[in-house]
Amino acid sequence: MPRYRYDDEDVVAIVGSGAGGGTLAHELTKAGHKVVLLEAGHHHTPDEFVNDEWRSFKQLAWLDRRTTSGSFRVAKDFPNLPAWICKTVGGTTVHWAGCCPRFMEHEFKTSTYYDGMDGVNALDWPISLADIEPYYERAEAKIGLTGTNGIPQLPANNNYKVFANGAQGVGYKRFHTGRYAVNPVPRDGRPATIQDGFAFQGSKNRSRWSTLYTEIPKAQATGKLDLRPGSHVIRVETDGQGLATGVTYIDADGLEQFQRARIVAVAGNAIETPRLLLNSAGNLFPDGLANSSGQLGRNYMRHLTASVYAIFDKPVHMYRGEPMAGHIEDEAPNDPSRGFVGGYYLQLLSLGVPFMAAFMDPGGWGREFTSAMEGYTNMAGLWLVGEDMPQQTNRVTLNHDELDQFGQPVPNVHFDDHPNDLAMREHAWQAGQALYESVGAVRTIRTPPYPATHNIGTARMSERAQDGVVNAFGQAHDVPNLFVSDASQFTTGAAANPTLTIVALAIRQAEYITDQLRAGSIPSGHAVWDGRDPGGAAPDATELPGQTVGAS
Amino acid sequence: MSELSSHARETTLRVARAMYPHDALPDEAYEKVVRQIEVEARGNEAIGATIEQGIAELDDPTPFKDLAGDEQLAALLRVEGGDYFNLVRATAVVELYDNPLVWKALGYEGPSVHLGGYVTRGFDDLDWLPDPPIELDPTVGSHHR
Repeated sequence: MPRYRYDDEDVVAIVGSGAGGGTLAHELTKAGHKVVLLEAGHHHTPDEFVNDEWRSFKQLAWLDRRTTSGSFRVAKDFPNLPAWICKTVGGTTVHWAGCCPRFMEHEFKTSTYYDGMDGVNALDWPISLADIEPYYERAEAKIGLTGTNGIPQLPANNNYKVFANGAQGVGYKRFHTGRYAVNPVPRDGRPATIQDGFAFQGSKNRSRWSTLYTEIPKAQATGKLDLRPGSHVIRVETDGQGLATGVTYIDADGLEQFQRARIVAVAGNAIETPRLLLNSAGNLFPDGLANSSGQLGRNYMRHLTASVYAIFDKPVHMYRGEPMAGHIEDEAPNDPSRGFVGGYYLQLLSLGVPFMAAFMDPGGWGREFTSAMEGYTNMAGLWLVGEDMPQQTNRVTLNHDELDQFGQPVPNVHFDDHPNDLAMREHAWQAGQALYESVGAVRTIRTPPYPATHNIGTARMSERAQDGVVNAFGQAHDVPNLFVSDASQFTTGAAANPTLTIVALAIRQAEYITDQLRAGSIPSGHAVWDGRDPGGAAPDATELPGQTVGAS
Repeated sequence: MSELSSHARETTLRVARAMYPHDALPDEAYEKVVRQIEVEARGNEAIGATIEQGIAELDDPTPFKDLAGDEQLAALLRVEGGDYFNLVRATAVVELYDNPLVWKALGYEGPSVHLGGYVTRGFDDLDWLPDPPIELDPTVGSHHR
């Protein structure tokens, strides 16, 4: 593995190694570019993962200090944990379940379809479904999605049997075991699932796609990737022309380093990405880097999210098997006659006893709570995931009253549910309860939103610079050698779980960067080297990405 | 504050048990909650004071541990939302249910990967409902192109 010099002018510096950053790193190195991949977390390997919810949470979750405000219930139940994402090489692809629906056509056109809603900062995406479809196909093949590319569906597990019979019971027509990122049969050097029931704790046998053991080692095999775990980026630096020159980070030894870069791509998830850019304010960028629109950090979305658990008079054992291998589409279309715009999916979900206790009814106690826990063996569960509305006031800001371990202001996440979100959640809860009642549930439980696993929209794409942070390729309107490569760039959130779209956009972005560098269309920043030992091997002038790509 | 008094330990155990009553569980399961609270109280004056005040309130006029079940519930409702109540509740909901003894009592099998997962151990053994289709019905089609 190469170790590039700190003063190397040719590297692409990528911040974050999850679905966006890890995929981008692989695609760029495959195209011949030199990449430094900076990951704040440690490099845990699958043999270190544990089938134990709380121990795993402490191992993998992003637990750096965060604060919350606003009327959403998470601010009361989990005031310092607005999001449940990972801090480890592989990012949140280490603990995701693997649900991968594509967006629907209308979901790229929320301004057109959801027009006239109070408080909604709607905007059409600068791209359409047709633009992204070829990249969806490549992402599905890369990930190895069930039901695509000749890959079979996963089998029905116990929880799915209840879910699908309930779907039939209420007359739903479009359901299956999901477009799911877990091998039902061996593929791509990884084995088939053993149905161990642990997804959110990391896939010990690697049957679930994660950049940790797919994209990142493939990028390393090109000889072009310099992976630096334990590297927490605190600022993107810029020159007098307003171009990015590189990133300042705290390395694994606690030392501050500057890595010069030709291009900087930020993929730290939709809380850390705007936090980093806001923290990179300077003379030319008083309100944060790439924020002339004022939209940076705004329009934070976390998806509808809610759950229904149901208790039956017979055993279910929902915890056995892939936790989210079930998917119902019938409520996904935009049908405003239901009293809200947008739609939602019903997806399978199970939690173990420790997390069921933590999340079923936060703050709950007494016999009502414990009697539900005593129904655990006979319990089935589903998750409700739908589109929430972009609102300017839902935003990530810097909280200067609280500093993190590196002396940087922590992010504050402010969120108020929109009336449309509340109406959709009510409809979704009722739908989930009706589904289970149709197959004989003796008790159903409405579970409120968890800390968000889907974090979206805080550096959104827009056609015009005044409406958003990045263009149709994730390139900052204000800083042409700065890119955003995670779900922060989503203009709106759609109902779909975001990972497939993050991966598709990263493949597309890598292609764009390669083309633009070859065409000489991305200007370079000019760093003044401070005279420190740049470390590493001397940069090889024959490996300028624009040249090697063109020659190969 | 170095250690909880035996009265504070006993009362906290009764409080945890009254908050999260599982009649089949032995006191041992709730002792884990008390141990964690003791760890947090060690060297933390504020938590020590919270425990002392909270128990004094619960013991007035009759010691909490001497109350009958429904009286304990009434006493807890009286102090719900207070610092001591919140401390015990938040600790109990994690510690009580993060315990293989409790998993077994509730019918949760816990770690499975070392046993080969559930692929040959009942991931699909539910037999009181018919086996449903796992593929999208081709006659209705998807909302996705």
